[in-house]
Amino acid sequence: MKPSNLSKPSDCLCHIEPGELSPLPAPYEDFNQVTIPPLNPEKVKHLETSLDDTIAIGIPKPANKEEEEALVLRFLSGLKKLFEKENNWTFLQPLMLSMEHCAKCQTCSNACPVYEMSGRKDIYRPMFRAEVLRRIYKKYLKPGGKITAKLTGDIDLNWTTIARLAELSYRCTLCRRCATVCPIGVDNGLITHEIRKLFSQEMGIAPKELHDKGTVQHLRVGSSTGMNPLAAKDSVEFIQEEMEEITGYKVEIPWDVEGADILLIHNAGEMLAWPENVGAFATIFQAAGLSWTLSSEAVGYDAVNYGLWYDDVQFSRVAVRHADIARRLKVKKIVMGECGHAHKALTVIADRLLTGDLNLPRESAMVTLEEIVRSGKLQFDPLRNDFPVTLHDPCNMVRSMGIVEPQRRILRKIAPGFREMTPHGVENYCCGGGSGFAIMSGYNFAQWRNLVGSRKKFLQILNAFEGEPREAPKYVCAPCSNCKGAIRDIINYYHAEERSRLYYGGLVELIVNAMVDMKKPMIRFGDEPSWRS
Amino acid sequence: MGFYLLSYLCIFVFILATAYRIYRQITLPIHVRWELYPVQHETAARAAYGGSYLEEVNWWEKTHKRSLFNELRYMLPEILFIRGLWKENRSLWRISFPFHFGLYLMIATSGLLVVHALVILGSDYPAAPGGTIKSLLDGLIVVTGWTGLVLGNIGSLGLLSKRWTEPELRNYSSFSDYFNILFIFLFFVSALAAAVFTDPLLVGAKAYAFGLLTGGLPLNGYAPGQSIAGGVAIVSASLLAAYIPLTHMSHMFMKYFLYHKVKWDDAQNRRGGRIEAAIMENLELKPTWRANHVDADGRKSWRDIASSAPKEK
Repeated sequence: MKPSNLSKPSDCLCHIEPGELSPLPAPYEDFNQVTIPPLNPEKVKHLETSLDDTIAIGIPKPANKEEEEALVLRFLSGLKKLFEKENNWTFLQPLMLSMEHCAKCQTCSNACPVYEMSGRKDIYRPMFRAEVLRRIYKKYLKPGGKITAKLTGDIDLNWTTIARLAELSYRCTLCRRCATVCPIGVDNGLITHEIRKLFSQEMGIAPKELHDKGTVQHLRVGSSTGMNPLAAKDSVEFIQEEMEEITGYKVEIPWDVEGADILLIHNAGEMLAWPENVGAFATIFQAAGLSWTLSSEAVGYDAVNYGLWYDDVQFSRVAVRHADIARRLKVKKIVMGECGHAHKALTVIADRLLTGDLNLPRESAMVTLEEIVRSGKLQFDPLRNDFPVTLHDPCNMVRSMGIVEPQRRILRKIAPGFREMTPHGVENYCCGGGSGFAIMSGYNFAQWRNLVGSRKKFLQILNAFEGEPREAPKYVCAPCSNCKGAIRDIINYYHAEERSRLYYGGLVELIVNAMVDMKKPMIRFGDEPSWRS
Repeated sequence: MGFYLLSYLCIFVFILATAYRIYRQITLPIHVRWELYPVQHETAARAAYGGSYLEEVNWWEKTHKRSLFNELRYMLPEILFIRGLWKENRSLWRISFPFHFGLYLMIATSGLLVVHALVILGSDYPAAPGGTIKSLLDGLIVVTGWTGLVLGNIGSLGLLSKRWTEPELRNYSSFSDYFNILFIFLFFVSALAAAVFTDPLLVGAKAYAFGLLTGGLPLNGYAPGQSIAGGVAIVSASLLAAYIPLTHMSHMFMKYFLYHKVKWDDAQNRRGGRIEAAIMENLELKPTWRANHVDADGRKSWRDIASSAPKEK
């Protein structure tokens, strides 16, 4: 398969046959012949589906030749804008450097879990889509490009190329493992990010989960979950009641406290899918005597910023809203809850966007929690966490921010059964849910994610618990909502709770579970409590 | 004189193209942070596992400690021995290392040739100078020159063969990828042939460098192009110098920007600081993205757009 094949007609450019995916060990061999179920022809008859076995966006086919040509021209107009400072000052220098200096050595491919697990399908190489964009750029936008393309690498530009490229930009989780191993420093993950931006910002093409139901809903309603401020407050009220029921410890969750030291922002998905995470944070902060608050203002109770994955404009809007809410609450700092991409979005990326009094201090919850755990304000009984625990490193928090050790120091103190995955830290593998994949499940995309995108993480988790008895409950600590979502899905998909007794959760749940003030355990393995009072 | 004129022209192109590439980079607007850890100018303890200053409570109240020593300790083996490739792609390293190290030794040899010419100019030219420094230079030039040529030939042939025979490289290679390696191989093989068959002590190279510095003064009766191989080596080396900064092979020096201006750029935006001033300039830029939700009309700035809601459909 060559990059130029992307523009050649075929019904399916890349198909994964049964048995081609990387093999899983016992007791999961029965999944080794499983492959991605075919798309329902009725549901996709008007959509572009010719890239591979799945679709992430669902791009409608153009009605006629004129429409096709107009879309091609619009793509080229967007591509040109990626290289203009007025339109892309945010990433212009990194993009130019990565576009111009790739040596095509394929070192990046070996680092990519999607490529490796797919059975090494060429289209999933990190440099495949980057090379397609390089060729289009050189041929169609550089002076004399149509002549030099014969020497530097040719590709035809047509609607098929564009539609496939858009889809292909959603077969990479933007984990940037490829960029860490590039000997030159080229970041093919960044080029994927820029392709997504081009489609969204110029052509209005993006997965509905990220755009319509994501950033647009976030900015209009208050949260990408669809919860408005009233619903968020209701959820938290319910969480307060539940926490007392679960642990026997009464917790009060403060709202809109002006002048509090900390504005804590959760991924609002936690309130719905993992309410105990929100409750555990409140328990720890309250027990440690912190001055803190949540915000009930729209956008302020949801830390997510899906714009990070596909659209700088939407990213900027969400980041500015977060900062402005904190500014008006007059808090001393914002603490990001257990959400990896929200960490990176507001702490690192928005650092070169927020100016003046919007540039408020932002801190990772991993750091705040470590300070609490080490302060001696809380008493722990580590034996309450006396079960095998492994830690998943969210790429955005670890590889993109260098927050590696605080969470480990906490685990070493409260979880005697803690062991690392291999590799871990900045060399970790993505959960497979990165860059929005965890919330994207249209058509058969969830199956593609579970079978291909998350496969490496599943293997890593199994390896981390190798040698443990099957019947012993095992805890995967994933301090990130999207990662938790992806891990939850692989546990369900592979029946890993039944077959290996795998469970998952965040870091704060483990902390609360070990607090001696708790009358009842926070963590349960099915019906079984993790400790008995 | 034709050889010298070609070399002067190529050196001029090299300087111009390199300066343009660097100028273009330093005049680009500041971009958002996109660093990747480990960032090697962190303190030794943190750099070892990839940690950052963001691991500290209230990090904004503290001085960010940076270590130039750590950075150099990482960069030197990376530049000289291509450590990253050794770790991540060993089979490629086995040929990429001799290729790159061969080129480095050629650059080092060029430097020594220039020093050698300066030593002669500082003595009683045209009388040949003697002394320890001259002898040392003569020896070093032979060692670095020969080693570089041998390694370079092995490396460029190896790269050529690997790119041609391995599908994962061949499928992504264009004519220019082969041409680039062949071009470099042409230099290595012609220079090696000249050394083997006519000039084992690289006397011609020394004389040519002397001629370059003096506008063509002869040394030891040498005239460029006495041997075909030597002539090809001079022409190909000159053209290569001009060609490299025009291609992706400029990564030899552009790697500085890839690492220091992107991968390791963790500089904080502090209120009232230089970075904030640059961001404020960027926020006044006026985008023209056409998607409805962006709502850009070429008059609204990034600041206006970022503080507005997405346009209704």
